[in-house]
Amino acid sequence: MLGFLSARQTGLEDPLRLRRAESTRRVLGLELNKDRDVERIHGGGINTLDIEPVEGRYMLSGGSDGVIVLYDLENSSRQSYYTCKAVCSIGRDHPDVHRYSVETVQWYPHDTGMFTSSSFDKTLKVWDTNTLQTADVFNFEETVYSHHMSPVSTKHCLVAVGTRGPKVQLCDLKSGSCSHILQGHRQEILAVSWSPRYDYILATASADSRVKLWDVRRASGCLITLDQHNGKKSQAVESANTAHNGKVNGLCFTSDGLHLLTVGTDNRMRLWNSSNGENTLVNYGKVCNNSKKGLKFTVSCGCSSEFVFVPYGSTIAVYTVYSGEQITMLKGHYKTVDCCVFQSNFQIFSYHQWSRWFFIFSENICTNYLMHFFK
Amino acid sequence: MLVCASPPPLPALTGLRDDKLTLLSSSPGLGGTPGETVRHCSAPEDPIFRFSSLHSYPFPGTIKSRDMSWKRHHLIPETFGVKRRRKRGPVESDPLRGEPGSARAAVSELMQLFPRGLFEDALPPIVLRSQVYSLVPDRTVADRQLKELQEQGEIRIVQLGFDLDAHGIIFTEDYRTRVLKACDGRPYAGAVQKFLASVLPACGDLSFQQDQMTQTFGFRDSEITHLVNAGVLTVRDAGSWWLAVPGAGRFIKYFVKGRQAVLSMVRKAKYRELLLSELLGRRAPVVVRLGLTYHVHDLIGAQLVDCISTTSGTLLRLPET
Repeated sequence: MLGFLSARQTGLEDPLRLRRAESTRRVLGLELNKDRDVERIHGGGINTLDIEPVEGRYMLSGGSDGVIVLYDLENSSRQSYYTCKAVCSIGRDHPDVHRYSVETVQWYPHDTGMFTSSSFDKTLKVWDTNTLQTADVFNFEETVYSHHMSPVSTKHCLVAVGTRGPKVQLCDLKSGSCSHILQGHRQEILAVSWSPRYDYILATASADSRVKLWDVRRASGCLITLDQHNGKKSQAVESANTAHNGKVNGLCFTSDGLHLLTVGTDNRMRLWNSSNGENTLVNYGKVCNNSKKGLKFTVSCGCSSEFVFVPYGSTIAVYTVYSGEQITMLKGHYKTVDCCVFQSNFQIFSYHQWSRWFFIFSENICTNYLMHFFK
Repeated sequence: MLVCASPPPLPALTGLRDDKLTLLSSSPGLGGTPGETVRHCSAPEDPIFRFSSLHSYPFPGTIKSRDMSWKRHHLIPETFGVKRRRKRGPVESDPLRGEPGSARAAVSELMQLFPRGLFEDALPPIVLRSQVYSLVPDRTVADRQLKELQEQGEIRIVQLGFDLDAHGIIFTEDYRTRVLKACDGRPYAGAVQKFLASVLPACGDLSFQQDQMTQTFGFRDSEITHLVNAGVLTVRDAGSWWLAVPGAGRFIKYFVKGRQAVLSMVRKAKYRELLLSELLGRRAPVVVRLGLTYHVHDLIGAQLVDCISTTSGTLLRLPET
């Protein structure tokens, strides 16, 4: 470490190398942090979490009681023992609160003035953060399992929504209505995710075992249906290609957008090359997955070898993305873990200190590194 | 917050620090100090293990130490570029059987376990992919090596019907001879021979599609029906078929029953765990026709049991979930 610092100082090495080495070291040292806590507002389980990408300071959580809470993760008191406070919440007494469980929440990718939430009550609501009022509501015919807005796009404001029906709907925030429908799946859509690399590429995962990659500008159907056996590609065959041998529950692009990870109820996780849809055949072993809805997992970003954190029963399993080996299982929860989010944040200290938030898995040297999960 | 103490003594790790276990052959010189024979604790003299090159450690594929976090702390210095140089002695590698530790060697070893006499030589020896995982520690490497062997045409991977995940591995030569013998004198012999001659070498996939068969290889619908009747193709979907082994039904039946029987042996044990040596020493129940070792390899590789190293040997425990 000191060698890295002096090399960086004298200009022998790129500053990025030190950052990546240090972040990898910290991910490898993640442990349960006893000093940090998050205030408990939710009465029931928490289904979804999102940390805003701008500062990494505010976190949204959506619960199975329909309540949405906004937390401030920053520790401005000088004490080491700190409970992250809830800034505000949309509780059961709010006139516009979701009637059933909230499945996905997401911050507006470009600033914290707005966020979106979708729920089993067949709506997608767009909220103004400062006034906590709904700016817009999209109604659907079926329950909404998942939605996602593109984190990089500047050319469109489309929100992809996956519902119980087999059609993926794209809602335009500018015009306030559904602009596209993507047809191709045969059963409910359990997860959707935009590519962090290209504005128009969308991946959708469905209970019919298929994962499809779409270019939303194309009218004629999906680009690729992922095939786990890497068979020969031909148009007529697309119907038989399956990505998993069960429902496909979760999707996550790596932070550079070149690879896509999928998990399925066949207890497997697969890594795909997102440009040609090829199965890279990285084998993670058995990744237990009994979830009937989507499983939200996450990938680290900024480490020298990326890690994927997958909820596995009541623990979180950590694997290296490209080699498939299991690094560890993070224990700490008493019941099933539903979702986890990884966040790395720069604070203006001298050595690029990180805070990663969630149920308190942190590095044992400095209490600033945490990983929180909620059941 | 305590940092983990010295790592627990793992068998088969003399000289190797933070690496996963590798398949150690009997050749000295592999490992930290050349010239030293490698010692392992789990029953090296056990008469049950008949592998010549595997007698040292039978299941290197999936061993977890009791406390996983020692490995993370050992990975940390690597991220800062501190590498340990390991001295390697000359490793003998048989070009026919592949290097020790490779998927090829694992497949050859496992083929010895298959009971040929049980099927009167009508079935080619079938090995499962999960069994290869129990011998090759890194699954990704095993998958890639199997894929290479498949592309070279040395092995065929076949979908066994009972579980979409279970793939059987057969040597292409064995497959060809057995299929020809099985269809000898039958009305579909012509179609089968055409299939073996033209399609098998050209297409190494598990499945075949309608347009591929009719246009690229020139099969008529009646010939495809012959192939399905012969047992060489099994229906997958409208217009696509899996490659299959004729007569594999009996094997699949014995396999499924045997797997359940061996799992129930572990389940009925106290605390749902059994020492590997004890399991293999027991008399196999009648239902287990393929041999206890065959099934144990499969259970370990498919992660249906957890493999834990203890001071008395390897322990098989049913997972909690």
